[in-house]
This record gives sequence, C-alpha cells and structure tokens, in this order.
Amino acid sequence: MLRTLRRLRHAWSQRVAVEGGSMLPALHPGDWLLVDTEAYEGRPPRPGEVVVVPDPRHAQRWLVKRVASTAADGRLVLVGDRPDASTDSRTFGTVDPSVVIGRAWLRYWPPRRIGRVR
Amino acid sequence: MRDRLLSLIAPSRTVQAHCDLPCGIYDPAQARIEAESCYKIIEKYEANTDQHFRTRAIAIKEQRAELVKHHLDVLWHDYFKPEHLEKFPELHETFWQATKQASKVKQSLELAEAKKLLELIDTIDQAWRATGGPEKTRVAKAAVA
Repeated sequence: MLRTLRRLRHAWSQRVAVEGGSMLPALHPGDWLLVDTEAYEGRPPRPGEVVVVPDPRHAQRWLVKRVASTAADGRLVLVGDRPDASTDSRTFGTVDPSVVIGRAWLRYWPPRRIGRVR
Repeated sequence: MRDRLLSLIAPSRTVQAHCDLPCGIYDPAQARIEAESCYKIIEKYEANTDQHFRTRAIAIKEQRAELVKHHLDVLWHDYFKPEHLEKFPELHETFWQATKQASKVKQSLELAEAKKLLELIDTIDQAWRATGGPEKTRVAKAAVA
C-alpha cells in the first residue's frame, strides 16, 4: 500500500496521453496514463509489459508498445497489440532496455476505465 | 469547473501507439459498402434455395462482415482523435457496438441484424461528417462535363 502511494506520487509527474490505436484494446487513443519511471531500476522490462520508449528513429517522440520478447543479446522486441496497425520492432529493430523511459503503469483517465495497464 | 480540473491532471506529453505513413483517407463509406453487401447477400440467400448458391452466399457474407470490422477499426484508431471524443462522448461505445454488430452479421442470416449494422455505421458517419471528415480526407471527384 505504502509502495503504491509512493509510486503514485512519483509517477504523477510523468503523465502521458495515448495517441493512435496500435495498442487497442489495452490502450485506447485518448487514454491518460501514469508512467512508472522507476519500474526498471532493479530489473529489465519483461515480456508482456507495456513500456514507454523514445522512438529509435526520432528520440523526441515517445512510443508506447508491448514487450513481445527479449532477444538473445538482451535487447527488447517491441510489438503493438494490433500488429497490422502498428509500427514497432519489425520496422525499427530491437531496443536497448537502458533507454526505456518507464512502464506504462496506471490509466487514470477516463474515470470508468481507471486501473493498471495490462 | 470540469475543464479546470481536467487541465490540472492533463498529461504533459503524448506517447504514440501509431502506425507510420497513414494514407490519411478515412471514410465510413468503406465499411458501409461492405455492410450493404452483407445486407444484399442475406436477401439473395433468402430468395434462392440452391444449396451451392447458399453455401457461397454464406462464405462471402462472412468475408464482407470481417471487412466491415477492419474498416471500422481503422477509422476508430486512425481518424478519430481525443478532441472528437469530447464532442461525441458516445463514440467509443458506438464503435464497440458497431464492430460487435458486424460480428453478429457474420454469423447471422437475419436481415434485421444487417440493417442494424448499417444504422450504426450511419451514426459513425454523422460523427465523421461533423468533425470535417469529408473535407479532411476525400479527394475531389473529376467534374462531369
């Protein structure tokens, strides 16, 4: 409980809005999320988790994608939940886990869909 | 009041769940044509007792219904934006109903189900028009001399 509150206070400073539908139905365009930037301080992202990363081709632009798997060299394979409407590791290759900004952790808007990102 | 509260909790930046190189052409007409096919196929199915014809009709209707879902999905993700949702708060619900209805039409041979699908697509079409869809996405037709 205390950990969650602490995480909430920390993640509150990293609020992002989802644009695009490549992560439907997990994330809708217009969803507002809290990003836990401390999630990967002690461990690398695991397959199945939704992460925020800078676009490898355009670092100012941030992407939200799911970790599909970890390559043999430890780099991450990122894929959208709707692969036919997603630009991801199939286009830009694997991603270094150290550049991951954080884990897309909690949806706080809209109110009726508040909850953890899964 | 609500707007002020929202601006307090609004995110400071966006994260992209995008597809690159969208062609920018989004039009509910695509979904409607496929849904019209479903409707007409059910009519033809009812009017024809030939088993082979009926089997083909069902197979084609299922393909068309699947295309309806695809076109609606693309419109949903790629055309509509959060600011449109503020104007049409029911939009997500309508898309959900419409895509579910397309699944129903895929399974069903009831004309009424196909009609309901057309109506839901027309509701989406209204939102598309009200948000400037035709001006934003359509290419002008050649003028008829």
